[in-house]
Amino acid sequence: MSAETLRLPAPSGALVDRSKRVAFTFEGRGYEGFAGDTIASALAANGVRVLSRSFKYHRPRGILTMAGQDANTLVQIGAEPNVLADRAPISDGLAVVPQNVSGSLERDRAAFMGRLGRFMPAGFYYRAFYRPRGIWQRFWEPIVRRSAGLGRVDTNAPHGYFDKAYGFYDVAVIGGGPAGLSAALSAAQSGAEVLLVEEFPILGGALTYARFDAAGEQAAAQCTELVAAVEAAPNITVMTNAVCNGWFADNWLPVIRGNRLHKVRAGEVVLAAGALEQPAIFRNNDLPGVMMGSAAQRLIRLYGVRPGRSALVLAGNNHGYLVALDLLDAGVEIAAVIDQRQAPPPDPAIDEVIARGVRVLSGHTVSQAVAGPGKRSTVGAVIDSIVGPGEVARQGERVACDTIAMCVGYTPTYQLALQAGGRLGYDDAAAMFSIDGLPEHLHLAGSVNGRHDLEAVLADGRRAGWRAAGGAGAEPSVPAETGESPNFPWPIYPHPKGKDFVDFDEDLQVRDILSSAAEGYSELELVKRFSTVGMGPSQGRHSALSTARLIAKASGRTVAQTGVTTARPPFTGEKLGVLAGRAFNPERYTAMHHRHLEAGAKMMPAGLWWRPAYYGAPAQREACIREEALAVRNGLALVDVSTLGGLEVRGPDAAEFLERMYTFAYKKQPIGRARYVLMTNEAGTIIDDGVACRLGPEHFYVTATTGGVDRIYLSMLWWNARWRLDVDVANVTAAYAGVNIAGPRSRDALAAVTEGVDLGAEAFPYMGVREGLCAGIPARFIRVGFVGELGYEVHVPASQGEALWDAMMDAGAAQGIRPFGVEAQRVLRLEKGHIIIGQDTDAMSHPHEVDMAWAIAKKKPFFVGGRSIELRLRQPTTRKLAGFAIEGPVGEMPGESNLVLRGNTIAGFVTSVVRSPNLEKVIGLAYVHPDDAEVGKPIEIKLDSGRKLGAEVVPLPFYDPDNQRQEM
Amino acid sequence: MATGAPQPTDHLRRSFVYRELLSAGAHFEGEGGAAIATHFGDPAGEEAAARRLGLADLSPLARVGFKGAGTAEWLAKQKVAVPPESNQAVTQDGGALAARLAPGEVLILGAIPGGALAGEDDLPARLAAAWAKAPIPPKTPRGFPVPRADTHAWFLLTGADSPAMFAKVCGVDLRPAKFAPGCIAQTSIARLNGTVIRDDKGRLPAYHLLADSASAAYLWGCLRDAMTEFGGAPIGLQAVRALVNST
Amino acid sequence: MKIMPCPLNGPRNISEFSCFGEVADMPEPTTADDAAWAEHVWYANNTAGVVREWWCHVPTSYWFIAERNTVTDEILRTYPASEVYNQRVEFAPKDGTA
Repeated sequence: MSAETLRLPAPSGALVDRSKRVAFTFEGRGYEGFAGDTIASALAANGVRVLSRSFKYHRPRGILTMAGQDANTLVQIGAEPNVLADRAPISDGLAVVPQNVSGSLERDRAAFMGRLGRFMPAGFYYRAFYRPRGIWQRFWEPIVRRSAGLGRVDTNAPHGYFDKAYGFYDVAVIGGGPAGLSAALSAAQSGAEVLLVEEFPILGGALTYARFDAAGEQAAAQCTELVAAVEAAPNITVMTNAVCNGWFADNWLPVIRGNRLHKVRAGEVVLAAGALEQPAIFRNNDLPGVMMGSAAQRLIRLYGVRPGRSALVLAGNNHGYLVALDLLDAGVEIAAVIDQRQAPPPDPAIDEVIARGVRVLSGHTVSQAVAGPGKRSTVGAVIDSIVGPGEVARQGERVACDTIAMCVGYTPTYQLALQAGGRLGYDDAAAMFSIDGLPEHLHLAGSVNGRHDLEAVLADGRRAGWRAAGGAGAEPSVPAETGESPNFPWPIYPHPKGKDFVDFDEDLQVRDILSSAAEGYSELELVKRFSTVGMGPSQGRHSALSTARLIAKASGRTVAQTGVTTARPPFTGEKLGVLAGRAFNPERYTAMHHRHLEAGAKMMPAGLWWRPAYYGAPAQREACIREEALAVRNGLALVDVSTLGGLEVRGPDAAEFLERMYTFAYKKQPIGRARYVLMTNEAGTIIDDGVACRLGPEHFYVTATTGGVDRIYLSMLWWNARWRLDVDVANVTAAYAGVNIAGPRSRDALAAVTEGVDLGAEAFPYMGVREGLCAGIPARFIRVGFVGELGYEVHVPASQGEALWDAMMDAGAAQGIRPFGVEAQRVLRLEKGHIIIGQDTDAMSHPHEVDMAWAIAKKKPFFVGGRSIELRLRQPTTRKLAGFAIEGPVGEMPGESNLVLRGNTIAGFVTSVVRSPNLEKVIGLAYVHPDDAEVGKPIEIKLDSGRKLGAEVVPLPFYDPDNQRQEM
Repeated sequence: MATGAPQPTDHLRRSFVYRELLSAGAHFEGEGGAAIATHFGDPAGEEAAARRLGLADLSPLARVGFKGAGTAEWLAKQKVAVPPESNQAVTQDGGALAARLAPGEVLILGAIPGGALAGEDDLPARLAAAWAKAPIPPKTPRGFPVPRADTHAWFLLTGADSPAMFAKVCGVDLRPAKFAPGCIAQTSIARLNGTVIRDDKGRLPAYHLLADSASAAYLWGCLRDAMTEFGGAPIGLQAVRALVNST
Repeated sequence: MKIMPCPLNGPRNISEFSCFGEVADMPEPTTADDAAWAEHVWYANNTAGVVREWWCHVPTSYWFIAERNTVTDEILRTYPASEVYNQRVEFAPKDGTA
C-alpha cells in the first residue's frame, strides 16, 4: 500500500497539519508524516501495520484502539521505554524502535514462542519454576529476566525535570467528551470554578471521531458549539493532553500533564470518562488489521488516515453501521457488515449501508481472521452463522479483507469510580457493567453512567454539573434511552484451534481463562493471579468484561456476582519521574557551614543538618581525627555545636515541668548552674539527654540531642496538653549557633573576646552558666565537659554565628586554635566514657543498664518512665553497659555492633569503639552479661571476620578518671 | 562591585542567605545592624518584576515573637492591635505587622524601612525592651519573648504570579479569592514548616514567608527554582519600598 | 490525600499531621498495680470503630483530639485537647514526702 492512497483529504484529520511534514524513523527506516500525527497514525499512513510483538508468543501486533488504551503500540524512543505509539506525537528526527523483538519486527527470532503456546498454559508461572529444587535460580531466572518486561531501561538516561503543583477547584470534570463538556458548562454556569481534564490534545471526545447519525452531521456541529462555549467560560480551566490517573480520599486527583503532576483537590468530581470499546473474541482476533471500530474512526477523523483498503465490519450494535458509513466515506471498500444479532432493530444507518450496496449478514460472526504471511497482516475473515451463545455452525465462508472493525460493545471507564469506592454491577438486559454506590461528592455523566444517546449524554452531563455545583432551580432532566443497548451479550466465539485472545497484553486465550475456572479458581482475584489476566499494561481494559462473562458462565453465576478485580491507581502508566517530581529534601546549615567548607571539612549528615566530620582529605581521615583529638587535649580547639537542640522552658512551673519530663531534680537547681538531663519514655527507656541551664527562677534553657529535639519538643507539648502546668516551651534550636571551645588554653583564648563574664575557675566553675558578650555578641556561656577538657560552650543568635566563629578563630590564633569535627568529638567523649543516646543505648536501655541510676531523683512524685523503670528493675537484669579496653596491637579492629560472646551465647554487643589517640589503646563500650560487668573481667568479641578477640572490662572514664582536667 | 560598598560581612549580624544574595549580584545597604539587599543591579527592572513575581530577603529586618499565657493581653497593654482570631494578621500604625499564630502566640514583623507607613515606632525593639524591664516574676502573666529573628528567615514574595508559584511548593490555596489579606497559613512549604502571611503591597498580592533559618539557603533555592517558569526574580529593598509606597 | 480538619488551622492535607495513638488516661503511677501499669504502657486497644486519637499539626506543633472511625477512616470531630484536659494534673508525693 502506498502512502498517497492511505492519506485522506481535509476535513479528515482534525489533529494533523498537512502543511508541516515531519520525518522520523521506525526500526531504522525513514518515514514521513504530518505535524500532529502520532507515531502509529503516521506509520499507518505509510502502510506499516506491525508496531510490536506480543509479550509471550511474540505475535505481530498493530493498532487496536488508537487511544493509548492497549499494549499493542508500545515502542521505545531513545532511553524511554513503553511509549504509546498511538498517543506519542512524531517530531523531526524522532528515532522509534520496536520492543520485545529479537532481530526485527518482520523476522522476530522469538516468534517460535507462538508454537510453544501449549506448553505455557495459564498457571505456567505457578507450576513451572518450583521443581526440581533450585531450578529457578539455575535455569528459569536467567530466561525470565531476559524475556520479562517490554522496553529497555537505560540506566545512563539523563535526568529530566519533573515537578508537581497543587490545584484547587470547586468541580473537577474528568473527560472532555460531550458529557464532560456539558457538565463543565453547567457547573460553570452555576458559578463554580471548574477544571476540565481531557486525555487528547483537543476537546470533544467521541464528538471528534465518532458518527452519531446516518448523515454524519450531528457530531461536528454539536462539538463546535460546546467547545466554543467551554473555551469562552472564564471559570473553566481546560487541561488537554492530561490524564487523571487516580482517585484518592477527599477528591484528591493526580492529574498528569507532560512532566508535571497536578495534585488537584476538588470539592466535587464529575467523572465523564466515557466508555472503552471492547474486542470480539475469535481466532486471530489479534492480527494487525483487526481493530476497534472506534480506532478506525479515530484514524479517519483525527489523523486523516484510511484504516485499510477493504474492511469487514463485525457488528453487535448499530454503531457498526455508522462505522461502515465512515469507512465508505473514507473510500474503504466494505467487504461485508457481519451482524451478530439475529434481528437488528431498524435504524437509518442500516438502511443507508444497504442502500450503498454493502452486503449485510445478520446472525453471523467472524469466527476467524485469516492471517497473511508471518501473521503480519489480515487477509480475510471466516464467516459462520451463530447457533447459540458462543457457538457457530462452521460453514467456513471466507471473505477477503485487510481490516476487521470490531463494534460489539463497551465497558464504562469505571476505574476512577471503583477506586473511589463505587461498586460494579452488571445490567443483564443491557449486557453492560454499571456503577453504583459512589461516595458523596462524586458524580457520573455520560457513557460511563450508561448513557449512549447523544441527547441523553448531554443532558446527563448538564445534570451532573448542576448537582456538583449546587445549582439553583429545577434539576435538569435526562431523557430515556431510545435504542437498544450497544452491547451484544455474547461476542465470544472460541475456536477449536485457539489463538482466540481474551487478553492481548498477556497473550491469554479463551482456554486459559476456562482452565482457571476448571482448576477451581472462580473468584476473579484468583483467576487473575493464576492466569495473569488483566495484569498487563492495559490493566484489563479489554479483558475484564470477557473474563467476567466467561468465569460467570463457567461457575454458574451472574456476571454481577463475578465482577472485576479491584481497581487501583494508576489508571494508565506513569513515569517514576512524575511520581518523584522535583525532590524537596530540606538541608539545614549551621551559621558556620561555609567556614567549615573553607577549612576543608568533610561534611556528614546528622538528621537534616550537615556537620563537619573532620577537616582534611578523606585519604588522611584517621590522621586528621587523631590530630584534632590531640589538639583538644593538649592545646586549643573548637567545634561547631549549633545543631544541638535548644528549648526554652519558661513560667512558674518550669522546674516542676522539668522534674516530670526528666529523671533528675531541678526545683532546687541554682540560677547560673547547668544540670544534666536524662529523658526516658513511658516504658522507662532512655530517649534523650542534655543539660538544663537555669537562667532565672522561671527560665531554663535546655539542650537536647540534634536528632531528638523536634520529637522531644512535641512530646513536651503533648504531656503538658494533659498536665496543664503553667509553663511554656519554645523550640529555639535554629535560633542559637554555638561553639565549644575546649583545651587547656581555652580560658585564656575566650577571655580575650569576652565582656561581662569572669571566666576564672572559682567565679565560673564547672557546670556554671553565664550570660554576657562574646566578641560583642550577646552570648550564653556554659561550662560543660562532653570532651573532658577545660571548655566552654558559647551560644549566640544564629544570625551572628559566623561572626562568632571568626572572632574565636582570631582570638585563638596565637594559641594555635584549630577546628575539630564530629569524629574527634566522638573519640574524646568515648575516652571520657560519655554515652551517646541512640548509639550506646537502644530501644530497651533503661538508666540502670547504663550505670546512670545517679541521674534519677528517687523522691520526687513522678517522672515519665519512673514507674516503668521501677517495674523493670524487679525483672532479672540481662545486660550492662561496660567499658572495655584492649592493650597492645590489634590486627582487626572490633566494630560497632560486633557481638559480645559468653561461651556459645550472645551476651551483648559493642556500641562504640575507637583506638584512643591519647591512651594509645583500643577502648570501647559494650553491653555485656551483668556478671561480666565488673572491672577486670575478660569478655570475648566476635569480629566482622568471625575471629574472636579478647578484651578486658575496665573502669570508666578511660581518661582522666578524677575529672580534673574539665574542672580545672 | 565598588570598593567600600556595604557588605554583609561588615556586620556581626548577617542574613541567612547572604551568600545566595551575593551570587545573585546583590548590592547592599546597612539597616538595623545588618546588610540588606537593596537591589540586584537593575532597580527599575526589579520593580517591574516585583509586580509579576519577586522574591525579597527581609531576614535582616527586626521581628520578635511572644508566646505563652498572657501574651495577647500584655501586647494589648503595649498598644499593639492584636488580631482577635488565630491565623490573622493586622498592620500596626507604624507599619509593623502583628500576626496571631495561636491563641497564645503572636509574631511581630517590623515595618519596611523607608516604607510609606514606617514611623518612629520600632515595634519589635520597643516590645523587647518593655518586656525586659518588667519585674520577674511578673504580677500578671505576660508571655515570653521568642527570638524569631534567629529561628526564622523572612522572605517576601510579591506579584500576581506568586499564588501560582506557591502552588508548586505549598498545599494551601493561597489565591487572592481564597486567602484574603491578613490571612495566615502555617503549613508545609517545600517540606519545611513555614508561615505564610498575606500582606498586599500596593494593590498587588504579597506574602511574607517565614521558615527555619537553618534551612534558608535550601528554601531560597526551591523558591528561585519554582519562580523560573514565571520569570520571577530576586528583588531588593528598593523595589519593595516602591511597591509599598505605590498604594 | 485525606483532609484533616484542624481546630487551629482549618482543613489541611493529612500529610501535615501525625497521629499519636488513642487517647488513654494514665493510671495513677504510684498506686496502680504492675499489671495495670504494664497494660497502659505496652498494650494498645486497636479498636475497630470510633476512637479518640491524639493528632498533632506539625507545622504549628499543635496537639488536638480527633474522633475517627478506624473502620471507615471517617473523621467525625476534632477539638482542642483542653475540651478533655482542662484541669491541672498533680501527682501524689511518694511515701508521703514532698
